[in-house]
Amino acid sequence: MRVVVAEDSVLFREGLVRILGEGGFDVVAQAGDADALHRAVISAKPDVAIVDVRMPPTQTDEGTRAARQIRERHPEVGLLVLSQVVEAKHAMELLSESPEGFGYLLKDRVIEIDDFLEAVRRVGRRGTAIDPEVVAQLFGRRRAQDPLEGLTAREREVLSLMAEGRSNRGICDKLVLSPKTVESHVNNIFTKLRLGPAPDDHRRVLAVLAFLK
Amino acid sequence: MKTLRLVLLAAGLALGVIAYRVQIHNLGVFTTPARASAIVIGAWLFLVAGIVAWSRRPANRLGPLMTAAGIALLLRQLRYSHDGVLFTVFFIVGELSYWVVAHAAFAYPSGRLTDRLERLLIKSGYTITFFFTIAILIFYDGSRPLRFFDRAPRGSLISISGHGEVAVTVQKAFVIVVWGILGVVAIALIVRKLVRATPRARRILAPLLIAAITVGLRAIFESVFTFVERPSAILYEYLFWWQIAAFIALPVALLAGLLRARLARAGVGDLVLELEGTPPQGIRDALSRALDDPTLEVLFWLPERNGFVDAAGRGAELPSVDNRTITTLENAGEPIAALVHDPSLLEEPKLVEAAGAAARLALENARLHAQTRAQLEQVRESRVRIVTTADEERRRIERDIHDGAQQRLVALALQLRSAQRRLMDGSDPEVDRLLAATVNELQVAVEELRELARGVHPAILTEDGLAAALESLVSRTPFPVDLDAAEGRLPAQVEATAYFVACEALANIVKHAGASSAIVRTVRQNGLLVVEVEDDGIGGAIAANGSGLRGLADRVEALGGRFRVESPVNGGTRIVGEIPCAS
Repeated sequence: MRVVVAEDSVLFREGLVRILGEGGFDVVAQAGDADALHRAVISAKPDVAIVDVRMPPTQTDEGTRAARQIRERHPEVGLLVLSQVVEAKHAMELLSESPEGFGYLLKDRVIEIDDFLEAVRRVGRRGTAIDPEVVAQLFGRRRAQDPLEGLTAREREVLSLMAEGRSNRGICDKLVLSPKTVESHVNNIFTKLRLGPAPDDHRRVLAVLAFLK
Repeated sequence: MKTLRLVLLAAGLALGVIAYRVQIHNLGVFTTPARASAIVIGAWLFLVAGIVAWSRRPANRLGPLMTAAGIALLLRQLRYSHDGVLFTVFFIVGELSYWVVAHAAFAYPSGRLTDRLERLLIKSGYTITFFFTIAILIFYDGSRPLRFFDRAPRGSLISISGHGEVAVTVQKAFVIVVWGILGVVAIALIVRKLVRATPRARRILAPLLIAAITVGLRAIFESVFTFVERPSAILYEYLFWWQIAAFIALPVALLAGLLRARLARAGVGDLVLELEGTPPQGIRDALSRALDDPTLEVLFWLPERNGFVDAAGRGAELPSVDNRTITTLENAGEPIAALVHDPSLLEEPKLVEAAGAAARLALENARLHAQTRAQLEQVRESRVRIVTTADEERRRIERDIHDGAQQRLVALALQLRSAQRRLMDGSDPEVDRLLAATVNELQVAVEELRELARGVHPAILTEDGLAAALESLVSRTPFPVDLDAAEGRLPAQVEATAYFVACEALANIVKHAGASSAIVRTVRQNGLLVVEVEDDGIGGAIAANGSGLRGLADRVEALGGRFRVESPVNGGTRIVGEIPCAS
């Protein structure tokens, strides 16, 4: 899988490139700012671009704007946005068109290397990776008469992992449950929340996020 | 000077009698006692008005000018004498009298011709008239009567070649050029003067200048009649009385102008009474009425600022434009206040002086008032600056944490994690355990730094504004919060203040209130951003010194807002901040 890394902190970038390399990814280009990122996306045609939200020159939202442009001009490129802080609002804005091939994670998620590499892989396969923190925020926004009240603790856990963009298999691994159990949880959730029949891994993220929103 | 005026007055009165007699005895059917006395009375009015103006305002040249005009108008009548010397001298001098009148009209009210074009008009009037009258007398031989004269011939002392026809023609040309063309120019300049004048000056100028226009029109008609073979006698009769009315109106208008200034000065007496008990803001209005200048501004001198401020204490510059004039009022050599007024008030320095003297005490009072306001304003500005600077500092710290320490810690943890994986051959489980624990600690540290930075100043507040930041805040609060936030961006310090009000209030609820739910609301109304946090907890919160609520109150008040806490025991707590936001 071909990856482009856009990150201005050299130390972090090098660490990132190393674990990606060791994880079997092909890091085809590295960029230190938004312009270099655009050139790299055009010339290297990566499967995934990993982009830091804050980049030079102003260290505010260059990365976000670069990410939006890539989504518009190169929708075939998977995009994984890394940030020091995550906000549900930003996630929803970036997601608003399509969750396919999109990820939004806290930078420190990189430290859990296997989880992180799995997220990169998911984005590269047109899947979704949403930070648990964002999902927690979406849960936290619930008000009185919350339909989520009707879910069991386990079902809530499964719902969170679905919102993160994980597949059934991913959820099995994460919770150490059998595929059959996870499947029945998923079906229960969709029934209880009146979301209709559960669609496949890729599409259900949208349904779940739309519900949580 | 007084003697001179008395002599001139006496001489003018005597001259009036002579002028009357000269007309009656020499003009025959061309005059009547009524006409002759009307002319004399008009001239006397000029004389009297001039003498009065002169004694009231010795420094103003208008008085002498008006006096001269009156005497010149009387002397003009001597030209009708059949005596050759009187005829010759006063035919020449007499025609200049109208220009003295015009001179006085244009010089009103300062007594000086200040405009270049006006000066040019008066100069050419004098010069052209002088040469024309000499030219007429050079050709005059008594064979043809002159315009306005009876048929009896008179002896011109400077007649060189007798061409009565030529004399009459030259006189026609004189009437057309001097009365017609220059009359039109004079009226145009008067209209221009009125148009250009400041409102106050216009009110003063208007009556006089309208009288002057009437005279000018009369002169223009006269020049038109030179083209008419036989003008109607009735029409001439009307024109004569028109002229008389205008000549009487002119000095009357001047007297009225003078009287007006005296009335205004009498009004200063009322000012003293009026200013008693007038609030400082009312002084300007009272002075404006007394000086009859609606544009008047009063600025106060603040020694410690070495500059002027307005009544509200805001710093003000003295204007330096043509249509504003400044009079500084002083007390014992120290400036108290400056009056910024219409330049026409400069013609009445006594009036301004008197008004200033009358208002001195009140002005001094108002100055102290303005001084206090200015100091308050300074304090207010510095409080806003403190809040704004603190916010900027917080934003900077937040970014430094994210881009500095947090970034490095994450990179460090990643490196350790990589190292840990390399060592996963199981050769030294102790090292593996140590590295895992260190990475965990680092992760906790990163998490704590992120929370710290959010508490200092959340990035989303800068990037997306108050509504988004409140939504983020509410979604992290561990109990249900109903949020109703107004959209739209506001100045950074307003957004930050409202955010911290909500943030601190929610934190208090978590810590103390024992509440099951809360409501956060922001509304924009009447130029205020109102932020309101309400819970259903135990109540009894107070904004005492040192508490977080006191800090919030300071913050809101620093921006000129209001902060209140309603927290009856067992009745929940309601915290309301109202922050001005110029919208």
